[in-house]
Amino acid sequence: MTLPLDAMLLQQLVNGLTLGSIYALIALGYTMVYGILEMINFAHGEIYMIGSYLCIIFLGIFTYFGLTQSHLLLSLFLVAILSAVTCAGYGIAMERIAYRPIRSAHRLSPLISALGVSIFLQNYVMLTQGSSDKVFPHVFPISSNSFGAFPITPIQLFIIVSAILLMAGLHFFVQKTSLGKAMRAVAQDKMMASLCGIPIDRVIVVTFVIGSMLAAMAGVMVSIYYGVTSFYIGYVAGMKAFTAAVIGGIGNIPGAMLGGILLGMIESLGAAYVSSEFKDGFAFIILIFILIFRPSGLLTKNA
Amino acid sequence: MMKKIIFIGLLFFCLNGCQKKVQEIVIGTAGPMTGDQSKLGGDVANGVRLAVDEWNEKGGINGVKIRLEIGDDQHDPKQAVSVANKMVNLGIAGMIGHFNSSASIPASSVYERAGIPMITPASTNPQLTNQGYQMVFRVCGRDDQQGKVAADFAVQAFQAKKLAILHDKTTYGQGLSEEFRKAVSEQSKAVEIVSFDGLTQGDKDFRGVLTALKGKNPDMIFFGGIFPEGGLISKQAKEVGLTAPIMGGDGIFDPKFIEIAGIAAEGSFVTFTPDPEKIPHAKGFFQKYKARHGEGLAPYAIYAYDATHILLKALAQAGGISVKGDKKKVSEIIRNMKYDGALGHIEFDTKGDVKASPYVVWTTKGGRFEEFWAPGQPMPTNASDVLMPATHDASS
Repeated sequence: MTLPLDAMLLQQLVNGLTLGSIYALIALGYTMVYGILEMINFAHGEIYMIGSYLCIIFLGIFTYFGLTQSHLLLSLFLVAILSAVTCAGYGIAMERIAYRPIRSAHRLSPLISALGVSIFLQNYVMLTQGSSDKVFPHVFPISSNSFGAFPITPIQLFIIVSAILLMAGLHFFVQKTSLGKAMRAVAQDKMMASLCGIPIDRVIVVTFVIGSMLAAMAGVMVSIYYGVTSFYIGYVAGMKAFTAAVIGGIGNIPGAMLGGILLGMIESLGAAYVSSEFKDGFAFIILIFILIFRPSGLLTKNA
Repeated sequence: MMKKIIFIGLLFFCLNGCQKKVQEIVIGTAGPMTGDQSKLGGDVANGVRLAVDEWNEKGGINGVKIRLEIGDDQHDPKQAVSVANKMVNLGIAGMIGHFNSSASIPASSVYERAGIPMITPASTNPQLTNQGYQMVFRVCGRDDQQGKVAADFAVQAFQAKKLAILHDKTTYGQGLSEEFRKAVSEQSKAVEIVSFDGLTQGDKDFRGVLTALKGKNPDMIFFGGIFPEGGLISKQAKEVGLTAPIMGGDGIFDPKFIEIAGIAAEGSFVTFTPDPEKIPHAKGFFQKYKARHGEGLAPYAIYAYDATHILLKALAQAGGISVKGDKKKVSEIIRNMKYDGALGHIEFDTKGDVKASPYVVWTTKGGRFEEFWAPGQPMPTNASDVLMPATHDASS
């Protein structure tokens, strides 16, 4: 029964990679908004939280109509799409109501506005969904490692693969499409971009839409992974993802991916080999070291 | 516009003035009413309100109506002290609360200084009543009693050889885990404690520490903490491939524990008081509670209900509203009271603890909690249905 050390290490790495993929998806939203608006959208974690609730709600609806029982993968796919679209709506509304009117104000104003949105969304979900934890319908059997000797569960594999696909998709979008190019242009110099005829407002909205959709996907994944969600998960996850974005270099898209995955790994390994008592501490210890030795993040800003 | 404001201002002034003239007795309750543990705080408030309404239906205390003030301490020690101060300023005659030990202990000094009796329905940390305070009571047990019963079960009945202990770093969770560890090492030198580690309340990912436990091969995992983490630990333990059953204290005794963990909750053990549904006195309580709130088990509502009755009875005996100047008298009456309520017979010792140590071990079976073992008994013979087969694996 005793695991050989390397199998345990492998399992810890898989745990860390799964957690890190989720952090990375949230961190992308932080970093993209920062890259364009130079503002930290503290309400971003709440979009992730709303995504996790929507996942449970839509899945509950599908279960009621019997779709989950007959087509599990299809219904999960639909749940992910619906949650992402709804969260995109929240992202657009957030930008429109809380950020656009004060875009030219002092840089502290949007920050405070973001904190306000965060508090509002948390309480909104608490009041509408109830304050106790929401439990994911038990549609998956509890399975431990089913791929022979390799310690990974199907859900972990699903999360890691979809996160990689989403990140690859984002990379392609930012680097190859014209909208992506416009985004990079706005990030480099807003004034110049608008002089060249790039519709700034539209680019900013698209940024919020993409960031919110990625956060929603992270929310869906976390609902499936833990099987439970609550209205306060956005705060800590947002903090961690923000840390991940800073570790990678805020404003830098590959940096956010790297930072997220690194953070997940450090947390998992730290909890396992040092002490789980300081699990949250590791993230912030690493942050301090990064800020001392590489203040602009691991990857220098280029996006 | 200005006129309107003045008018409203005057109206408020008048309302305030009017309110002061109405004679009423105010009692308070406090706990986590918002946030992750708001269900627990809400259960307590429901229980208190039920008792207060019963008294008010009968005409209150000597004809004076009782009003309930609910405070939200968000299970935060700092917030608990500010809620306590607010309650004292409101002139409460007694407090049912707080809920969490980490809130009750700092708040207790405020009530002690103000001479207001507090009866906690749920704080089990021994330190609360070890401070030598005159105003502090509890209707639940203590963690040293609870930890001992859990250790008796783990060592003598379950015959665990290797134990892993996790806690949530709170006054309650860590305190209970330490009492459990102490009791285990007093029981037997042969039992090895392979790990003693903390985790963070509110976290959702415990796979790291659980995967590490797998290498240490424990027979049982003891968790000191509350059900949101307890349920996830139970589920994630099975997912990383741990087969040892989870054992916990009263903090995980909640239907949500089973709901979160699903099938993985089966065969877990919990120390809690004997089934209140079996106490004849409790029937009336459960009927009324279900008629009003319709939900299933709300374990702490019944404690809050009895605590409220004890407080109100003491206030009535002390002379109702006229007692306001002499609150010490109320605490004396509570200390000498012999109360038969929904929980059965309650009597306090000089510290303010209940005299009888009420803990037994429950298990989870078929998605429900079920009374399983009482101290001094051997392992129940139907244990094989409950336990995971792998825990009896001879090779481990």
